Amino acid sequence: MRLWEYRWGLAFIAPWLLGFLIFYLFPMVASFVFSLLDFSLADPGATTFVGFVNWRRAFVEDPEVLASVGRILLFALISLPIGMLFALAVALLLHSRYLLGTRAFRTLFYLPSIVPFVAAVIIWQGVLNEHTGWINLAIEGITGLDVTGTDGIRWLADPRLIYFTYTLIGLWGLGNTIIIFLAGLQGIPIELYEAAQIDGAGPAQRFFSVTLPLITPVVFYNVVIGVIGLMQYFLPPYVINMGSGFPNGMTNFPMIYFYRQAFTYLNMGYGAVIAWIIFFLGLFFTLILFRTSRYWVFYAGGGEES
Amino acid sequence: MRRYLLLIVALVLVLAGCGGPAQKAEKTQVRWFVGLGAGTDEPTIAAQEEIVKRYNESQDEIELVLEIVPNNQAYQTLATELSGGNAPDVVGPVGIRGRDSFKGAWIDLQPLVEKYQFDLSIFDAPMVDFYRNPGEGLLGLPFAIYPSFLYVNEELFEEAGIPLPPTEYGQPYVDENGKSWPWDMDTVKRIAMKLTVDQNGNDASSPDFDPQNIVQWGFGIQWTDARGIGTLFGPGTFVAPDGGAQIPPHWAEAWKWVYDGMWKSHFYPNGPYGSSDLLKNGDWFSSGRVAMVHCHLWYAGFAEINFKWNVYPVPAYKGKTTAKMHADTFLITKQSKNPDAAFKVLSYLVDDVAGELCAVYGGMPAKKELQGDFLETFFAKRWPGQEFNLKVIQDSIQFADNPNHESWMPSFQEANTRYNQFTDLIFNNPDVDVDAEIQRLKEDLDKIFRAAQQ
Repeated sequence: MRLWEYRWGLAFIAPWLLGFLIFYLFPMVASFVFSLLDFSLADPGATTFVGFVNWRRAFVEDPEVLASVGRILLFALISLPIGMLFALAVALLLHSRYLLGTRAFRTLFYLPSIVPFVAAVIIWQGVLNEHTGWINLAIEGITGLDVTGTDGIRWLADPRLIYFTYTLIGLWGLGNTIIIFLAGLQGIPIELYEAAQIDGAGPAQRFFSVTLPLITPVVFYNVVIGVIGLMQYFLPPYVINMGSGFPNGMTNFPMIYFYRQAFTYLNMGYGAVIAWIIFFLGLFFTLILFRTSRYWVFYAGGGEES
Repeated sequence: MRRYLLLIVALVLVLAGCGGPAQKAEKTQVRWFVGLGAGTDEPTIAAQEEIVKRYNESQDEIELVLEIVPNNQAYQTLATELSGGNAPDVVGPVGIRGRDSFKGAWIDLQPLVEKYQFDLSIFDAPMVDFYRNPGEGLLGLPFAIYPSFLYVNEELFEEAGIPLPPTEYGQPYVDENGKSWPWDMDTVKRIAMKLTVDQNGNDASSPDFDPQNIVQWGFGIQWTDARGIGTLFGPGTFVAPDGGAQIPPHWAEAWKWVYDGMWKSHFYPNGPYGSSDLLKNGDWFSSGRVAMVHCHLWYAGFAEINFKWNVYPVPAYKGKTTAKMHADTFLITKQSKNPDAAFKVLSYLVDDVAGELCAVYGGMPAKKELQGDFLETFFAKRWPGQEFNLKVIQDSIQFADNPNHESWMPSFQEANTRYNQFTDLIFNNPDVDVDAEIQRLKEDLDKIFRAAQQ
């Protein structure tokens, strides 16, 4: 490479490089340094170096850290499969040639994704209100059962329901996942379906033997993005209950706990440790997914993803 | 040469554009944060804005900027501002709980008091000392006190044909049969059940009462936490003498009394009912559906009550009365870039316009000369045409809780979150083993307190 090419190359990547250094690398280094400090945001002047005391507290002394990780894993087990199935089902519907007004429906299903999620969560909060929410009123109207009020369906307050409720709220924002599934479905060559049909495969067989294997790279991508997103799951429990963990601490997820330690209790040092734990969790589960992908992700032409 | 000439002309034009007429000296900006205590409710906003407007018109040195944040968001907002290095200069009115939620964030006012020779004798000396913290100095100047008492919806009593509570501390309750009862928690429970009504008109003492469709309740403690609830049965603290955690036994009794009131006797609004539209999303008394509510004087400053009501004594527990007290102050943050200007504003708020502000917030002024006829003036102005048992409010002061229910604890916010989880649990679940949960609360608080000692 000639020198002038090298310089131009550097000049072109300089904005990204600067952005990476300022907004990623520096905060990460700073975050690690904070994790070694007793650093209260209310009184920065009293900051002291404490070594790995915060790390020991997180791993040994504070059961809430592990409990919050357990909660997010349980929530992930519920919300991720439901979210993926819902997004795939909608994508299949939008891909169907029998659906009239496909473009209009695609727009309608994507539209919620561009609504600010905070606004969406606040709307859902109203819709799910046990006394006045439309859902309970509709169920009551249709079935005649008494489901409003204290002994009714308490979507946002019943510990047995809360993860399903948050999953339901999450479905609202799945527009991007749906679009990616749709792109995957549209990338499957039509000849494969024709060949399968000639071989006598019915709709179900075509789906499980052609569609599903060929969209596994898309499923893989969506699952990885979904897992990373769940490790950082924050907005609904924060907007609905100010991150209080209500009900029964069930929504005290790692990000909520991080926010609470760092910005409510103002323990920036300890908060930094929890942020690192969230980072490592995301990394760990992503690595597991990558390691296992060779057994269930199929790429066109039989090539294995490097 | 021509190019240089053009450059000079362009620069001159740019500078001329920037300059304009002779500029006025910049005013020092002082940000006043309202939200941790009273002052965020609609009727108080205009009055605060008016005070700021007047102050700014009188000044060529300081520009006062008002930031009003709703109380339920104020803690997070201030925490975020502190963490971003963007803290306001003056914070208040704020109670002890709000102040100690941000321990270490405030400056010692004593040097500024001395520098500006602020006359502390305008307050009662014990009230000034109330704000002196060992190791931290004078954290705030006294501003207002807010005794607590019972707000009673007299219309609901009349409708039910039940005699009203006694009008003075020490008097017994006389029931509809002329029988006297001590004005205590047992009596409150008994009459509260009669005042609790379902949609079919049955009261909570009736076997036909339908707890799934309650439309009116007898009693509630409005807008307080576990410590506030416990204090109705007597003052106490979570902090044990050795620095660990303890649960005062009478607080446990109070929580069980409330739990029973919510889920068994049904005279106390539980979580789902309490936060519903039916009860004005937590503003129980104004909803007109709760006959007796224990709350502070500040509530009378902004409540929108459209029925006949009055104030009554706080009931006793085992012969002892405790009327929890709130005391508000103003503080200056350590992050303030202009503590001197901030102190001038603070002095203005606690001295020059203290009477006016106290009238807005519904607090008794800490400034001695204003205390005289405060209550009469305040109630006559805020609630014209109505007669109130004002002596009850004054007398409530002598039953103030000590230790105060808002007093400091180690890891204040963390402990606060933990005991709020406990109240969330008992307010929202009808099948809680309260004793076991109290034990768990004690153990968790103990861990939190001991971690803070390390």
